[in-house]
Amino acid sequence: MRLVAHLVLKDLKRKARSPFPFVAVLLLPVIFAGMIALAFGRGDEVPKVALLVANEDGGLIGNAVASALASPRAARFFDVTAVTETKGRELMEKGSASALLSIPAGFTRDVLDGKPVVLRLVRNPSQGILPEIAEQSAGALVDLLEGARRLLAEPLARLRPLLSGEGDAGPADADIVAIALAATRSVRETSGLIFPPAIALDSELFGGASTKAAGKHGGTTSAIFLLVLPGVAVYELFLVADLGMRDVVTERTLGTLRRQLAGPLTDETLVLAKAVYTGLLATVAIVVLAIVGWAALREPVSVAGFALVSVALVLAVAGTTSVVYGFAKTERAAATLGSALFLAMGFLGGGFFRIESLPRAVRGFAPLTPLYWGTQGYRALLEHGAGCAEVSRHAGVLAGMGVGLLALGMLGLRRTARAATTS
Amino acid sequence: MPRVFDVRGLVKSYGSVRAVDGVSFSVERGELYGLLGPNGAGKTTTMSMLSGLLPPDEGRILFDGMDLASKPLEVRAALGIVPQEPALYENLSARENLSFWGGLYGLSGGTLRGAVDRVLDLVGLADRARDPVKTYSGGMKRRVNLALGLVHGPRAVLMDEPTVGIDPQGRLNVLDAVRQVAASGTTVIYTTHYLDEAETLCDRIAIMDHGKILAEGTLDQLKRRVGGRDVITVRGAHDLTPLLPKIDAMPGVTVASAEAGKLVIAVEGSGRGAVELLSAVLATGVPIDGISIQPPSLNTLFLNLTGRELRD
Repeated sequence: MRLVAHLVLKDLKRKARSPFPFVAVLLLPVIFAGMIALAFGRGDEVPKVALLVANEDGGLIGNAVASALASPRAARFFDVTAVTETKGRELMEKGSASALLSIPAGFTRDVLDGKPVVLRLVRNPSQGILPEIAEQSAGALVDLLEGARRLLAEPLARLRPLLSGEGDAGPADADIVAIALAATRSVRETSGLIFPPAIALDSELFGGASTKAAGKHGGTTSAIFLLVLPGVAVYELFLVADLGMRDVVTERTLGTLRRQLAGPLTDETLVLAKAVYTGLLATVAIVVLAIVGWAALREPVSVAGFALVSVALVLAVAGTTSVVYGFAKTERAAATLGSALFLAMGFLGGGFFRIESLPRAVRGFAPLTPLYWGTQGYRALLEHGAGCAEVSRHAGVLAGMGVGLLALGMLGLRRTARAATTS
Repeated sequence: MPRVFDVRGLVKSYGSVRAVDGVSFSVERGELYGLLGPNGAGKTTTMSMLSGLLPPDEGRILFDGMDLASKPLEVRAALGIVPQEPALYENLSARENLSFWGGLYGLSGGTLRGAVDRVLDLVGLADRARDPVKTYSGGMKRRVNLALGLVHGPRAVLMDEPTVGIDPQGRLNVLDAVRQVAASGTTVIYTTHYLDEAETLCDRIAIMDHGKILAEGTLDQLKRRVGGRDVITVRGAHDLTPLLPKIDAMPGVTVASAEAGKLVIAVEGSGRGAVELLSAVLATGVPIDGISIQPPSLNTLFLNLTGRELRD
């Protein structure tokens, strides 16, 4: 162990003398957090989308759309101002709003006639991600309207003459009852299809963040941090581990690996020291990430649970990178393989967006990646206030993967070390 | 004198190439033993096997009576290695490099600090010891490279062409340090392809080529093997082979090698024989571009043994 500590200390000293690559990787989530903070503010206040609605239609459905955006539920996210099209464009030019939604004249009529209709959304690119939220929300609303239009085709057809003033008298009570019954029947029969998407509005707004999550953390910033920070953090750990394990190949190129192996040192000791060094770098990165996460979310998290997942994750990232560097023939091949593998894991494992957003066929591969278990473990701790028991499965799988991969990687790295003695 | 190294029948092949082909030698305590040969002679492969980095295909290496194959860590702990290319951590200082390598061999505390100071003085880098190695010149890096092999006070040091690619002043510094190491009683095996280094440094020299030791002994012993023979090299633009029958017929003359444009001949008789030979060659009327005469030396021995000059 004395030799391992001696080797690790040397590597840490070298890293401290040339810290730029390590710091650059560490800064990834910090920069990310900073960008999110700049876009949304600190996060305790919910930034609202300043949405202008120019309702040129004035009909039943046009008004319903405008009302929906001004409803108490939508008011959590939107600050809606009714304007004319001209006034709306004027305000947009001044940069006073995030987006302008135009409901064209004849919108209600065209919907009732079954004609294609267009709701136009003009976004203000200077307001960061807020206009994107407006676009997504409007898109969800359009989907909802389209679903309703198809579902209520029959009652709407009956409503058409009444709304357009055809006929001399107002609607008879019998007509109203018949339309109401038809609408009720249609809605009841298909309510299972209609309402889940309507409920899913929250998750659509924030890339899939659940209503529960949004409710727990109460802010757009927090929701977006929850969505991306765990995945980006775990992805970053792979990059940090890559820096550590790459040192085996770097030392082979320097000739220092060969020189060490000409001393009283076995290849097992040398490879073990590199794995410990890699684990230490990953641990430092986790501490930095924990500080960033705390600063961004200010949420109480189970320290024991966090430690459990983190230790298992350190094993897993060290194991994964040891396999990459143990079996790639050159430094360049290892770097290329590592980058491709980590990126693929980032996407497949739900590191960059929620796993639920992936196609079902692809989703099946996610649990095969350590990045998935790390991300899910951290999300469970952050979003659901999970403790040790709840994340023990994540930690167990990660540790299992880590030990297995490390055992395999050590074999490869020993081969790499031995090859250095003959070159 | 007790033997520090006892090497018997070393063989190492890479595919069909026999890089080391049955090398045997022994080195006594405190001796500075030179392996002299051109590039590709098998010197570095031999050194890799002596340092325990490369297992031989055949043969046995005993170090202080210990079999390297059965006690590799014990042997390696007692050896110092100075590789051909400096193997250093460039963003650490010379002192930090030395402290790391000394610590690797078990030194610590005041012993380590003392050892580091000693080798820094030996290689003349005490005043730059705290600067990062990346700021050093090539010669200074070579000196640190040498110091790393000595910091733990090894019983024997393997130095693999430590002066290759170094400026003249740096080379003198390294050679001076090597002499001091040998004078302190440390056994040194030193490979080189520079004749003057072998002649001025080494107590005994083994001449290697194509993986074999062609000759071994002190400088005087090796020169005696050349005898009183001068080596004459005749160069010409045309084929010189028509000269061969006439030269072969001359008493005391041996043709070492003959190839297009170059003829290497060993002549007995210290001067007189050479003059007679040259007269005979010129009398043939074959166009000659140049003639050189070399008195007995390691190079002439190598020429005699291989038909090639060492610098070829």
